[in-house]
Amino acid sequence: MTSFQPADLKLLGDLIQERFGLTFEGVRQDILGSRLRPRLRELRLDSPRAYYEYLRFHPRGDAEFDRLPALITNNETYFFRETRQFEILIEHVLPERRPAAPSRPLRLLSAGCSSGEEPYSLAIALHDAGLPPAARSWEIDACDLNPERIARAREALYDETSLRACDPESRRRYFSVEGGRFRLKDRYRVGVRFFQSNLLAPGFALDRPYDVILCRNLLIYFGDAAFDRLIGLFASALVPGGYLFLGHSESLFDRDTELLPVVVGGSVVYRKTAKP
Amino acid sequence: MTSLLTAPAHRLAALEAAARVPGGEQHILAALEDTAPSVRERAIRLAARYVEPAVLGELVADGENAVRRNAGLSALERQGPYAVPHLVAVLDRDDPELLLFALQSLSRIGFGSAGLAILPLLSHPDPNVAQAAIEAVGKLRVREAVPALCGLLQRDLWIQLAAIAALGEIGHPAAVAPLMAFVPDSVLAEPAVQALRRIAAPESLEPLLPLLLTVRERALRDPLLLAVAVVIELHPDPEGPASGVARDMEANGGDLVVYLGQLLTAVPEDGDAEEAESLLRAAATLVAATGLAELHPVLLARLSADPVARWIEGLLARFPERLAPRLHALLTHADPDVRCGALRVGSFGPGDLPLLVEHLSDPRLAVRTAACLALGRMGLDPVAPLLLERLRRGEPPEQAAAAQGLARLSPEALRELDGCLEPGMAEPVVVEALAVLTRTTVPALEPRVLQLAESPSAAVRLAALRAAARFTAAKAEVVLLRALADRHQPIQTEALELLVRRGGDRAVTMLVAMLGTADSLRFHVIRALGHCRAPSAASRLRSLYPECGPLEQLQIVWSLLRIAPPWLSEFLLLRLVDQDLDMRRAAAQGLSEVACFDHLPVLLAMAEDPDWDIRNSAARGLGRLGGAEARTALLTLARDVESVVAATARAALELPTRDASPSAV
Repeated sequence: MTSFQPADLKLLGDLIQERFGLTFEGVRQDILGSRLRPRLRELRLDSPRAYYEYLRFHPRGDAEFDRLPALITNNETYFFRETRQFEILIEHVLPERRPAAPSRPLRLLSAGCSSGEEPYSLAIALHDAGLPPAARSWEIDACDLNPERIARAREALYDETSLRACDPESRRRYFSVEGGRFRLKDRYRVGVRFFQSNLLAPGFALDRPYDVILCRNLLIYFGDAAFDRLIGLFASALVPGGYLFLGHSESLFDRDTELLPVVVGGSVVYRKTAKP
Repeated sequence: MTSLLTAPAHRLAALEAAARVPGGEQHILAALEDTAPSVRERAIRLAARYVEPAVLGELVADGENAVRRNAGLSALERQGPYAVPHLVAVLDRDDPELLLFALQSLSRIGFGSAGLAILPLLSHPDPNVAQAAIEAVGKLRVREAVPALCGLLQRDLWIQLAAIAALGEIGHPAAVAPLMAFVPDSVLAEPAVQALRRIAAPESLEPLLPLLLTVRERALRDPLLLAVAVVIELHPDPEGPASGVARDMEANGGDLVVYLGQLLTAVPEDGDAEEAESLLRAAATLVAATGLAELHPVLLARLSADPVARWIEGLLARFPERLAPRLHALLTHADPDVRCGALRVGSFGPGDLPLLVEHLSDPRLAVRTAACLALGRMGLDPVAPLLLERLRRGEPPEQAAAAQGLARLSPEALRELDGCLEPGMAEPVVVEALAVLTRTTVPALEPRVLQLAESPSAAVRLAALRAAARFTAAKAEVVLLRALADRHQPIQTEALELLVRRGGDRAVTMLVAMLGTADSLRFHVIRALGHCRAPSAASRLRSLYPECGPLEQLQIVWSLLRIAPPWLSEFLLLRLVDQDLDMRRAAAQGLSEVACFDHLPVLLAMAEDPDWDIRNSAARGLGRLGGAEARTALLTLARDVESVVAATARAALELPTRDASPSAV
């Protein structure tokens, strides 16, 4: 297997960064190369440079751009991943936010939701905490760059791998079996709204304010500039006093932002400064 | 604190604007302390490009400001070979902190020529400096340091540890004996074994192998096993030393057998997957090399049951004599995984035929499939009817294995394949039978194959085309040419690829004629002509250029680069001043491959181009040309703001020096 030229990978990586904000610098260039190799073989292209030219100039380049995020990002996710943050949300954050918004549902956003495992897990956790959506106490929005994953999220039909952290009791309680796969029961799908979006598209803004944003294990894909833009977007979209939850390996350390780290329930989360 | 008044994006833009104008150095130096990582990172890149090493050295010497010091260090490291003379000069200074930073920078830059300058510091009175020097000669793999490092193995603990690690990194066999002295009874046994693993010298196998029988603590046994396995893998003839210890293992290795058995059956879990995999491979290597009979079934079962353990086949194939005496017993083993594994790795002769045939009726699909493959490996024509029967009636994996096996037989034996290609035969059978014919040419079946190239089924047409490409006759070429107009796009492109592989004037003539049609296939035709390296197509491609869209134009450049007509440089120079950046990039890349000494001014101009990709091509081209002017330009490119350009320039600087003159090029 021949290795790709670093300059060819950078050329393609720059195009991807410009279009989606995703960064593939340093060792991540190799990841980009290995993820795209099968696609290049399918298209009979012999280098990332040829693929770059295909994306830019081929009549089917736009369609190829649409499928690109699914090829290069990891949709590794599963139900009930890192649930400690859900507990913090339910035990500490929502009770604090509730009085600030007595007349409307609390609004939560799952950014980079992949095929829906995170927002649905959150919905289940809220149900189990005695907060069903029928009481209109909360709403979850969930978005992802990839339209195919959004379609799968809406379908709510999952393979075994998505349920790897579910014990038999959870499987029985939350899912029904359909042809060897697992369908999330309807009652846990109510109150969760999916939409496709490129959060880094020029001029993009979230169309309503949120009390809580979860963006876990997504920022690792972004370079500094895109990272700052995304955090700026979240800071604008959060209501004063709203919270941002990041993945365990992500932080806002050393960043200029109005989101300040606070320790809640033993974990670090980020809170937008409240209006004076 | 003005930097805090604007957003990082604005500060970044201001820095970019200020950096390249007179007085820009002060802006860059100030930005090295910016609060935003994105601004600091960019300032480091700009500092590497535009600030001299002596100025950066002052930042490094500033012990009061850690941010500036770290930024200065990073910038020096990015300057690479350009900074090396400055850093080497620092090695003469007395300040231990400066020495430390210089040593760390040199080792990170990785420019081996600095290694000899470090040698005097190996025994520096300041232990921190000595340790940094030891680490640096290790990273730079300075072989001349080996005697001195061996001498340091008797010093205090930290120096010993650093010296052991450095000896491992340098990888010189002279270090084997001094390192073995620490194994197994020393606190330094484990790092010494790690170093021996890195050195992987054949002479370490004999002393290391017997230790596996006596060392029982996992903390040392695991690294010992890993070291032994690496040495076996790289040893030209490991069977001699392995034979001696194999007898001891059979007689007294009960505990070792249990240990290896555990490793061979371990299921990697999330946290330790990488380590478990390394130990599994090491255990398998030891079992294969020593022929430890007790563990052969375990190893073969792992091969069968673990879809990613196919490497075991290659491992056992390296030591065929170890397995051969037990092969029959393994083929009749009660565990089907063991039988399957034995079939996959065994080397069989005509006398084994009855036993193999029995396995064709094994209740397990995997065993039957492996039996098909084993029969195929024998390469005996009499097995053809057996494999043909599996091809017709087997399950899909058996069919594929039978096809693979049939492909090893003679064309005469494969005439019977005709029965699998008859009308009415199931599509998978036909496709697999055609797959056989893509590997072996059977002239008698040519008419049938060409007929199937017209099949209504796209899968059959595709398989038939691939088989047809093996036939040299004109009829086959006509079939391939006709397939260029197939209603199925993948078949069109496959036909094109097959024609390219066949080569020949007729195909080129046909492809050139197809350039006249402006459909979606033309891009592939342009590409195919490049792959054919067809000189007769070059002029036509050049005349087509103005009529094409950007994708085809770019492909014309790439194809002409492969064809290399005499006027290529002239063509590329015209493209280099194109309006479109991507075309300029393609032309620059082309020139980097074909430029001669006359083009040196062009390459020097490319080296200053605002576009990084063009500078990168310049670096490649200048490296090819060599010479003093090229070298000066490469030293600047070696500290380019874009890492990829800097890396290309550094690689170019390490190319053998040439005399660049018109006569030398």
